[in-house]
Amino acid sequence: MPQLVNHSSSSSVLPAHVEPPLSTLDPVIGSSESLSNDVATHYASETLMTATDPVASPASPQDSSLSHSQRFEIFLSTFFTIFLAELGDKTQVTTLLMTAESHAPWIVFAGAGAALVLTSFLGVWVGCWLAKRIAPRMLETLAGAMLLGISALLLWDVIQL
Amino acid sequence: MDWHLLGLSFVTVFLSELGDKSQLAAIALGGSSKSLRAVFLGTAAALLLASFLGVVLGEGVAQLLPMRWVKALAAIGFAVMAVRLLWSGGDADSPLALENDPE
Repeated sequence: MPQLVNHSSSSSVLPAHVEPPLSTLDPVIGSSESLSNDVATHYASETLMTATDPVASPASPQDSSLSHSQRFEIFLSTFFTIFLAELGDKTQVTTLLMTAESHAPWIVFAGAGAALVLTSFLGVWVGCWLAKRIAPRMLETLAGAMLLGISALLLWDVIQL
Repeated sequence: MDWHLLGLSFVTVFLSELGDKSQLAAIALGGSSKSLRAVFLGTAAALLLASFLGVVLGEGVAQLLPMRWVKALAAIGFAVMAVRLLWSGGDADSPLALENDPE
């Protein structure tokens, strides 16, 4: 998508004016604020327009409002934490045992892989579904608490090992 | 093609992963992150690679890697993401944070 490159260069200049989506609803908005909004809409393509949309922005997480590097950072942090957490976990032990029993590693991997892609899709989908129904602040607290809980579970594993 | 084995491995792994910590992490990250696609790809790729290593290396993986340190590292990673989410108030530059108005 060629417009993404265009966007990432403009987003580095503008985010301070564009970020607080609720301020566009504020009746006591300053003239400098609305001026900067005009500048934003002047420079921005439709991707930034959607980012300033006060309704759409907090309700539905949008890929289009992120630069490549931000998305890559999310991908990497997700990948490494989950990969490290899953190493030596019971799913890995299950696939390992089934491979040893059947001597058909690729069939076991195909079945396990399809199941893992499906469960991660379901997880992200449930998260997205919740994001539309819970206030962003509350959601962040809940998500943070969940991640802390996972961290505690892993630490418990470390103690048990 | 052994369809029985394929189905068996699918159902076994699906049931054991349902509600497991990696799926909880996917729910938490998918709900709080701005890029669902990046979270989904990251989660799926990590799980695929982990099970691929399980299939290829077999029992070797537990001997090759110091599992305590691997788990501890993962725990630190999740804790860091949790802290970034919980204390991100106003810092909308963080890609894991939702856009929230600083009050």
